Amino acid sequence: MNEERSVATISRRTLVKGAAAGSAACLVPWSKMAWAAQDCSTLRAGIAGYSVVNVLDPAKASLIPEFYVIWALFNCLLKFNEKMELVGDLAESWEHTSPTLWRFKLRDGVTFHDGAPMTAEDVKFTLDRVRAKDGDSPHKDKFASISDIRVVDPLTVEIEMAEPFAPLLSYLANARTGSQIVPKHLLDGGDERSFADRPVGTGAYKFVSHQPNVEIVLEGHSGYFVPDQPFIPNVTMPLIPEEASGVTALLGGAIDLTSTAPFADVPNLMQNPKVKVLRSPGLNTRFIALNHQTAPFDDVHFRRALSMAFDREAMVQIVLFGEGTAANGLIPAALSWAHEPKRRPLMSFDPERAKAELEKSKYGPGTEAVVLTWGAGWWKRFAELFAAQVNETLGTRLRVEVSEANTVYSRLRAKDYQASIWGWLGLIDPDEYTYEILHTDGWRNFHGYSNKDVDALLERARGEMDQARRGEIYKQAESLMAEDAPVICCFESHVHNLMTPEVNGFVQLPYSAFGGQLAAVTSC
Amino acid sequence: MKTLRYFIGRLLIAVTMMVIGALAVFLVMKAAPGDPALAALGEQATPDAIAAFRAEHGLDAPLIEQFVSWLRDMIGGDFGRSLTIAGGESISKLIAGRLPNTIFVGLYAVLFATAISLVIGSVAALRRGKLSDTLATSVAAVGVSMPDFWLGYVLILLFALTLGWLPSYGFTSPFESLSGALVTGLLPALAISAPMAAVFARTLRTSLLENAQRDYVTVARSFGFSERFVFRHYVFRNSIIPYIVIIGLQIRYLLGGVVVVERVFGVPGVGSLMVDAAFARDYPVVQACTIVFLAIVLSVNLTVDVTCAALDPKRTQ
Repeated sequence: MNEERSVATISRRTLVKGAAAGSAACLVPWSKMAWAAQDCSTLRAGIAGYSVVNVLDPAKASLIPEFYVIWALFNCLLKFNEKMELVGDLAESWEHTSPTLWRFKLRDGVTFHDGAPMTAEDVKFTLDRVRAKDGDSPHKDKFASISDIRVVDPLTVEIEMAEPFAPLLSYLANARTGSQIVPKHLLDGGDERSFADRPVGTGAYKFVSHQPNVEIVLEGHSGYFVPDQPFIPNVTMPLIPEEASGVTALLGGAIDLTSTAPFADVPNLMQNPKVKVLRSPGLNTRFIALNHQTAPFDDVHFRRALSMAFDREAMVQIVLFGEGTAANGLIPAALSWAHEPKRRPLMSFDPERAKAELEKSKYGPGTEAVVLTWGAGWWKRFAELFAAQVNETLGTRLRVEVSEANTVYSRLRAKDYQASIWGWLGLIDPDEYTYEILHTDGWRNFHGYSNKDVDALLERARGEMDQARRGEIYKQAESLMAEDAPVICCFESHVHNLMTPEVNGFVQLPYSAFGGQLAAVTSC
Repeated sequence: MKTLRYFIGRLLIAVTMMVIGALAVFLVMKAAPGDPALAALGEQATPDAIAAFRAEHGLDAPLIEQFVSWLRDMIGGDFGRSLTIAGGESISKLIAGRLPNTIFVGLYAVLFATAISLVIGSVAALRRGKLSDTLATSVAAVGVSMPDFWLGYVLILLFALTLGWLPSYGFTSPFESLSGALVTGLLPALAISAPMAAVFARTLRTSLLENAQRDYVTVARSFGFSERFVFRHYVFRNSIIPYIVIIGLQIRYLLGGVVVVERVFGVPGVGSLMVDAAFARDYPVVQACTIVFLAIVLSVNLTVDVTCAALDPKRTQ
């Protein structure tokens, strides 16, 4: 027994000693770890709610997290300021020399990350590449009205339009437009795939590495044309799949800044002294898409009844925790010059009028229909609340079917649906919200909606160069649209950025131009 | 000879399971709705671009042709290239970079679960019916009822945000810094280990109690051996076999936990890769991750079988 005990004692002691020595050895270099608190030589700007960045070639990219990075790496001819006014970026000035001709004078001394100068040849090459009819850029339709691009001299370029096209300037700005200027000398005859993996632009930051689904690493472009920018020499952009994890990462000091915030947490975070919350009305639209080719949504009275049968304000409170605005059309309030502020009766909660419309419809109470949604985030709550409110008001039997976002989108495109929640994020011109969604030929028109009067107004708006007059045309078009209720406009959500109190200089834009705003950050 | 035949038999079953599993995974992924072209090219993709993407990646080939080609490449050690989440990147490289992280967190969790359950299970069995037994059993019941993602956020709230002892997000690879991996992996490992530890402890307690009633234990006591000696050599050694079997079986749930917890804590592992790939319809990546998980489960099961055979006193004596 003594021998047994002795063996047990030794082994226990050995174990304890070993564990203590191991722990001590392990803890020595701990303070040098990557996530530990850092000085401000690296800004850790987390992309929250997304984990996939696939392509960093602006002409090929389409996903919002891809543009979060692209905006840091590239510049366009123009950009939006915080008031959503267009100002020069690579273009020093521009003029409209005839209804169909634009002339851009480029900034002198701009260089790409590899040191090569940026000239009018690069601008022509970029836009020709995006608009190429046989090309596969998802943005080519935006530039389809361009008939010719001419290099006048190394710092002057002219864009000739086939017809007057007012949205052009917006599409030449640093948004999700694919018009970020790329280097001709690397792409003309070069390997597009390797460019997409290691992009070279003129932006404040240059690409260092991308670990798929983990993070993107950037470093300052020493030849950046804006004096003194970027202030912070390095940027890491961790891809954080859950928005809630973005919050915990920020509160725990693992990151300095987030691209988005979960709506439910915003009210509490606003009270938290450890966090700065930036919030502004967003450039987005959320609606219920209706398939006009199937019952019961082929009946305008049924659609109108739906539009008045639920409370948009309550929806904003319940679905977005108050972080949004009830919609009054497809054009969001953040595009104030084209937005109708006076509430349209057909977009107000009015149970009596809704029931009266239902009586005019060939479909009565008890009508069944399926509303598609997906389970992520607040989208499911959105669909459920809509269906519940409408059913309570009208006695209909709308049923929610939960699928997955990719599947819902595939079914929308194939017109294999009755109704579905949907929305568009980060669009910067009213043309995208109206022509592309409502025009008979609009590529986002998955509803089968067609109204010649609306089409005519939207075509006229494209040719109207005066912004105020153009805005009035959109208001008219949306009023006509409201009568038809082609989709059920619901709300616009706010955009948010969270940051530690030490982060200064970040300016939020309504389309959340995340990466493009990092150059101006002065401290972290 | 008998042991070798037993081992070879188990190995053949494992290989057969791998092939059936590969076919099942392939068919399930193909049957799932959604389109990788839309995921890769985005919502503004034109029909021409979608068709070109499908042709480029062989997605328009007949199903059987796609499966044979995939299986052939896989047997040759090539999982192909990612379609959507890391366009064009070698999947073998993607998995090789992440597998050590997943294995590290998984082993860390098993280590915790085993240590915790050994204490709780033994205490509960030795003090059956007493307050410490009730307490240990209650803790186990709470542990098994807690979803790992919820527990993950609670642990973050307590240890990272309130006490500030541990990081709230991010993971350092064990190759980069072992101490970093131990610190950053602690909360994810704890989150995964709690439900496992509860199951382990309950199994150990039941097994210890069963064995304590056996005739050979009574005989051992009648020889005058001390209670400690009887517990160690007669009760514990016999009870450890079902305990190890349960640890092996729980590996499946461990991998399930890893998938969720990696996303909550930002661990760049195979679990989070698989979830991202599934959302983005990156078929080859999901298939490769599933095959890797399947291989891990089958290898662990095989190891458990062999270990139990070796540990069983009836076989060794």
